[in-house]
Amino acid sequence: MEAPQYVAARVQGALAEDDRTHELGIRVDVRGDQLFLRGQVGCQERRTLIADVAAEAAPGLTIHNELSVVDIREPEEEETL
Amino acid sequence: MSLRIAAVGDVHLGADVGGRYRSHLTGIEEKADVLLLAGDLTRHGTLEEGEVVVQEFRDLPIPVVAVLGNHDHHSDKPAEIAAMLRDAGIMVLHDDSVVIDINGTRLGVVGGKGFGGGFAGKCASEFGEPEIKAFVNHTKRIADRWRVALKELEADKRVVLSHYSPVNDTLAGEPPEIYPFLGSYLLAEAIDAEGADLILHGHAHMGTEKGITSAGIRVRNVALPVLGRAYGVYCLNGEGGC
Repeated sequence: MEAPQYVAARVQGALAEDDRTHELGIRVDVRGDQLFLRGQVGCQERRTLIADVAAEAAPGLTIHNELSVVDIREPEEEETL
Repeated sequence: MSLRIAAVGDVHLGADVGGRYRSHLTGIEEKADVLLLAGDLTRHGTLEEGEVVVQEFRDLPIPVVAVLGNHDHHSDKPAEIAAMLRDAGIMVLHDDSVVIDINGTRLGVVGGKGFGGGFAGKCASEFGEPEIKAFVNHTKRIADRWRVALKELEADKRVVLSHYSPVNDTLAGEPPEIYPFLGSYLLAEAIDAEGADLILHGHAHMGTEKGITSAGIRVRNVALPVLGRAYGVYCLNGEGGC
């Protein structure tokens, strides 16, 4: 059985290098047959694509897509320096 | 005269999010005098994504200055993307400077992509294999160019705009193991030597907003996921506020 660290590293590499994603800041954890994705992405479509690429890179694992979509709030008061 | 600097980085635009960011820029002229973009404007650095960036930031009522990030280099088209932005009136820095007159106050902006290598005591050295030497030398050459640009800059206020971070303060929240890929102290060393009023960077999505250099220059990580808001606004020389 492949060590979970290697599976997580392979998924992170796929997320960074796959043309559909190119996401560098996604945290990937493997626990038994479960794979967890955490972090922030720009929109719902990217959130879904990341889970698709992860599933392809780690077939047989159950994907838990815990990514959140960045919520852009309006600017606040300026900071005086 | 005070200056209000709006800044954001890592907007990572593509066709799938085109138009969404622009809506947050309405009325920006009431909040800021200039908008600085700290790189990673695209996801893959394609010309198509560059066009989305152009449409998102063109024709704003305040000047826009940008640097590119590592994502904007991925498709080996950084010069083409920079040209597209310039054609749309957006100033793009590549280890050089620009001076903008804002109501009689000269704002000087020095900057570029920056690069990695790590932070003092925990960094790579120009030693060993050519690949390592090239990695470190790339950062050294950038830092040298920033030092010269700052030395020659004639402005009332001085801001450095980077994609990579010059300090590790603003990386807090990122895994320490990847700090060498997030920035380099060589950038801060060059800026501290010549002086600046503010340093802005992006790149570290899980970092924190506020930091300082060894010489006490304020550093702000304006990566969009860090800010959580459309842009930060920083007021320089704010005696009595902006």
